[in-house]
Amino acid sequence: MQDMRDPLLVMRGIVKQFPGVRALDGVDLEVRAGEVHCLLGQNGAGKSTLIKTLAGAHQPDEGTITFAGQEVRLTGPIAAIKLGISTIYQELDLVDGLSVADNIFLGHEKAAFGFTRTGDTNRAAAELLGRLGHGEIAPTTEVGTLPPAGKQVVSMARALSHDTRLIVMDEPSAALAHDEVDNLFRIVRELTAAGVAVVYISHRLEEIREIGDRITVLKDGRTVAVGLPARETPTREIISLMTGRDMENVFPERPAPGSHDGRPEVLRVEGLTVPGVVTDVSFSVREGEIVGLAGLVGSGRSEILEAVYGARGCSGRIELNGAPVRGISSAVRLGIGLAPEERKAQALLMDQSVAGNITLSGLGLYSRLGWLDRKRELADAKAQIDELDLRPADPSRPIRTLSGGNQQKAVLARWLVNRRKLLLLDEPTRGVDVGARADLYAVIRRLADEGIGVLLVSSELPEVLGLADRVLVIREGRAVHQSDARDLDEHRVLDMIMEGSAL
Amino acid sequence: MSQAVLKSAAAADERLARRSPLRRLAGRPEFGALLGAAVLFAFFSVVADAFLRASSFSTVLYAASTFGIMAVSVALLMIGGEFDLSAGVMVTTGALVAALVSYQLTLNVWVGVVISLVVTLGLGLLNGLLYVRTGLPSFIVTLGTFLMLAGANLGVTKLVTGNVASDSIRDMDGFDAARAVFAADLDVGGVRVNVTVLWWLLFVAVATWILLRTRTGNWIFACGGAPGSARAVGVPVARVKVGLFMGVAFTAWFSGMHLLFAYSSVQSGEGVGNEFYYIICAVIGGCLLTGGYGSAIGAAIGAFIFGMTSKGIVYAEWNPDWFKFFLGAMLLLATVVNLVVRRRAEPSR
Repeated sequence: MQDMRDPLLVMRGIVKQFPGVRALDGVDLEVRAGEVHCLLGQNGAGKSTLIKTLAGAHQPDEGTITFAGQEVRLTGPIAAIKLGISTIYQELDLVDGLSVADNIFLGHEKAAFGFTRTGDTNRAAAELLGRLGHGEIAPTTEVGTLPPAGKQVVSMARALSHDTRLIVMDEPSAALAHDEVDNLFRIVRELTAAGVAVVYISHRLEEIREIGDRITVLKDGRTVAVGLPARETPTREIISLMTGRDMENVFPERPAPGSHDGRPEVLRVEGLTVPGVVTDVSFSVREGEIVGLAGLVGSGRSEILEAVYGARGCSGRIELNGAPVRGISSAVRLGIGLAPEERKAQALLMDQSVAGNITLSGLGLYSRLGWLDRKRELADAKAQIDELDLRPADPSRPIRTLSGGNQQKAVLARWLVNRRKLLLLDEPTRGVDVGARADLYAVIRRLADEGIGVLLVSSELPEVLGLADRVLVIREGRAVHQSDARDLDEHRVLDMIMEGSAL
Repeated sequence: MSQAVLKSAAAADERLARRSPLRRLAGRPEFGALLGAAVLFAFFSVVADAFLRASSFSTVLYAASTFGIMAVSVALLMIGGEFDLSAGVMVTTGALVAALVSYQLTLNVWVGVVISLVVTLGLGLLNGLLYVRTGLPSFIVTLGTFLMLAGANLGVTKLVTGNVASDSIRDMDGFDAARAVFAADLDVGGVRVNVTVLWWLLFVAVATWILLRTRTGNWIFACGGAPGSARAVGVPVARVKVGLFMGVAFTAWFSGMHLLFAYSSVQSGEGVGNEFYYIICAVIGGCLLTGGYGSAIGAAIGAFIFGMTSKGIVYAEWNPDWFKFFLGAMLLLATVVNLVVRRRAEPSR
């Protein structure tokens, strides 16, 4: 057994070049046996390329990898697995049509003379699942029938089915609910106690505080910090390392309180009631104003947004510039734009180009007698890409290849091209990493400064309080408080949100 | 934070629930087809008096077997995530190669049979390699080879024989022995059953064994359901896919041999369009077009449904011109039933 203090894995000066991109530009990583080593970095910083290199899926152009004291070359997935390096990718990549046991042992089946030894396989799978505290998952269950948490456990069991000394977990908590994350942490702790090293990637800083030992931060394909203590390093330091920017500057500056008072109301909602969910909510959004809705999931805040968009049956009055909103088509006609929570499924054509996605809802602007003026369309898209600093600045690139933050910028750019009077933003920074958020906040503020009214829903209180001019606190379908955002702090809002609830 | 706790509390114990045996049966890919076959059998038994006779049943089985042998390998290929549109004409190619080689060179027919095997397996290999190397969808690759084979079948036959059909090889050495293997009529309790029915059952059994009891079977599911994942854990995806294309080629050779030794000569234009019947059998039997799901037994039941529909119409003395109409309706009905059954069986999917 190796000394726990000795590094199990050392990567030095790793360079990986793709056509047109230098994805890794001299990365160093050092992981000890028995530690949870957190890998932090914005989208595009090179995390995925680095772990793919570690999994043997990419071969580095330069640099050395030393594992357990030996310099190694990871020529393929099998080579990595044989050394004891397992990777659990973010997309739970299991085969739905196979049983739990077959998935766990896929690629290294327990077989004799070409025939699967079903009994052995199932027994071994049951044992692994038991070790993970999930003995209730039957090895013969078809994986497609399991909930996400169950699939996560199966992925983990697959990683453990090899003689594993290092497990890479790419955002393992992304698909999990809160109590399931606790179970994940319990498993991680048991693994590290047994001397297994874990490389843990997550966007959730609070998770890193709870489970992590040390942190390595990547930025633009380079290592910018090595071996920071995970619990003690201040958040502001981590964020400024990741972004090269201070946290104070995350939220754009707000106009002075009351500066919207004289401006016309874009949206006026009176006595809005959605049976069973929202009761008698009234508010307004003025030109150039960002109004935030704060509340728990299920408090009715999303339903308010949907009602304003005309997507939900309700009573009460909803008026845009004095004209009543009746249904989605009238909402669109009157000038309401929506950036939905499920960005990938509901807002973007993932295989289309960036430009195509930006101009999508404004095609009417470019068509003359049924022909599209492609040149003007492209020029407008380009202007927005430059304006919003969308990266990479290539209008013809498929939008699927962009990071979450840049995809969201494209959604917002759409409403800059096809000018709206009111924008509804549902969780605008969901899945966007910390650094890219600042950019998005700036874009949202700019939209408002141009005179657009913005109605914002977010689960993250700091976001609502930091970005909005005015905040409505929603509890159990009622607006329990309404005031300038600067007069509120997180603690007070939480009090109001929780008051009277059993939690 | 706290809202997440609420949301997950209900979901957490879902996986604890055991499913009843009936539910589990209903979750199998072939369940919908089984249901459909039973309904169709009952239906034809009522409307066609002749349908229940043993000899009629043997005829239905024969029709089912000729398509079923191909449907088995096509189903495996589809579970592996690919299509083979050249499967229909490859049967004809196989038969033509054996017929032309034996007749023109005046050889024992077994020589032709073996050369045909080598050629068809080579064609399967070509399909597979083209797919693996180019990365084009198999739909396109095999559409290309389908058209090329259809053209070559006709062109070569005409060039060699001056005719659109091969010459009869009935009088040649080894014909009777080959016929006994590929196209014999057996007497089973006074009913004549073609030997293809037995071969069909054997192929289904072997394919089922491979799918459910060998590591290759796991790999086939993995290649179709999650190729990226399969590659990441070290499954030889390319080899599996090439193997599946060659599997289709093997059954095409076998079907070609049956065709040749049942009729002693082959029409060079035959087989076009049959590839879709094979796919239909597999889909009725529960295979998904997207791959990663399905069963060989399902494909066999699909072929049985196909056989019942094609012959049932005759026994019911309906106008056989309508055959394709009924087949199309069966296809839609079966896939809808499959969908509904699976949703019912697995509420969490």
